[in-house]
Amino acid sequence: MSNVINEANWKFHWRLTESAGIMIYLAEYRGRRVLWEASLPYVTVDHQRDALEPTSDGLDTRGPWWVPLGTRTLAGNVRVQPFRGGIELSADFTAGPYHYQQLWRFHDDGRLSPWLTIYGSGLHDQHTYHPHWRFDFDLDGAGHDALESFTDGRWQRVEEEGWFPHTGEADDTGFVWRQIDFGSNCAVHLRPHSWDDAELFAVRYHDGEWAPFSPRAAAGSAPFPAAYVGREPLDDQDVAIWYVAHVHFDQSFPYTAGPWIKLDGF
Amino acid sequence: MAPPKNKAAAKRPAKAPAKPQPKPASVASGKAAPAKAAKPAKAATPAKAPTPAKAPTLAKAPTLAKAAKPAKGPKAADIIESDPSLFAPLTPGEAADALRTLTEDRRVAGMAKVGRYRVVATEPLVVKPPHWIHNHRLVRVVVYDYSADRCVDACVDLDAGIVAHLDITKAQPMLSREEEAIAVSVATADAAVQVQLELGDHPMVTMHYWGKEPRDLAYSRRSAAVVFGRHGGHPSLVVVVDLLDNQVTSVVPASQW
Repeated sequence: MSNVINEANWKFHWRLTESAGIMIYLAEYRGRRVLWEASLPYVTVDHQRDALEPTSDGLDTRGPWWVPLGTRTLAGNVRVQPFRGGIELSADFTAGPYHYQQLWRFHDDGRLSPWLTIYGSGLHDQHTYHPHWRFDFDLDGAGHDALESFTDGRWQRVEEEGWFPHTGEADDTGFVWRQIDFGSNCAVHLRPHSWDDAELFAVRYHDGEWAPFSPRAAAGSAPFPAAYVGREPLDDQDVAIWYVAHVHFDQSFPYTAGPWIKLDGF
Repeated sequence: MAPPKNKAAAKRPAKAPAKPQPKPASVASGKAAPAKAAKPAKAATPAKAPTPAKAPTLAKAPTLAKAAKPAKGPKAADIIESDPSLFAPLTPGEAADALRTLTEDRRVAGMAKVGRYRVVATEPLVVKPPHWIHNHRLVRVVVYDYSADRCVDACVDLDAGIVAHLDITKAQPMLSREEEAIAVSVATADAAVQVQLELGDHPMVTMHYWGKEPRDLAYSRRSAAVVFGRHGGHPSLVVVVDLLDNQVTSVVPASQW
């Protein structure tokens, strides 16, 4: 199976990674570059307890854990399938009581859906999933980009790196963040799933700040991607963004997390 | 173990950058350089002030159209011409070449000499132009060095035969497959685990685990959690294994995790 797909106004490449699911790279829409690369670096899981058991060892909360989504957890093959109005890639990953289906859906009208469907029962009911997507959009070139957030009823420019949680506020079409390119006026809009409890980390792209092979930094340090967040300006820069969802398990699973992404100006 | 001299020149010189470019000190001088000097760009260390709770800094931006500025200068030698083949999966030989190059680098000579390390991942890496190695075949090698309890995260330039970027940190990368297997082996051999296993229980999955609180041993020590249960059934037991000493540190019923 070729790893280059040229369908539905999109041209993109993909490969299965060791730990970050299916990676998309060098994606173009209508012949113009949209994405350098995007992947799902990790899905962490943490657990909560309703009450301490008499035999408890006293640790009231455990730390998180995770297992890579990649070659070692792939169940079956990566699938490429057309659908009405687009084309999609999908792959299933299984790790004990955790089951995931990663999706990349490319619509011919310029929408993109990087999603993750979460199945499985986990250890017990009290647990939460934290899928982390990393997007390195390069709109019409790597530089001259900026990030905007819909806040206080209007789009506002983000001046420097930071953490931008979804507060519930969105524009008329539900979009909360957007990355824009000054040279071309192209933009990428992101709309979180309303139940994702989503947040966005925006950092300036640097060689060396690649997606780490774990969210775990040194003991006592902030985890990734927060550890990458400093105070560098984002305006007119090459911007990399992380979309993080927080999905608490409930009996109505499966649940599909991830943003809607829409291109504008292409 | 000294690095080979002039390896960069010996290997595929045709792929050298078209114009003179700055090179890592270790190549220019032929001597081992401190990690910081060899970084082609900003270091990826968690030393940067972590500010996860920082409030967003916003400025006015009336509309997208109004916000647009004229393009500034010519576009860089740009990502548009990037070679997709640089993203292609590594061949076994490329992975081996990358690991050989890393272990011959004097900055990690101690790790290679003691030989208590695990290769966590070897994956292709592509750097954006105009960086001087943007058109080189690069490999990211992540190794956990047990002799020093540290993570080695390197970018190996296969075209130049050098380690182009090296981060040595206390970060905890994911578990290698060998570490997963060791954790299972340690857990299943432990007497305290065996008495708690039920008929049909087997290792379902090995997770990379770290503690949330400093009094949890797994807070600062490399650890794995092996989940036991019946095939197709619910998990029954979680066993935390300290990978530094290869011993079980905690056995917890899955329902109480």
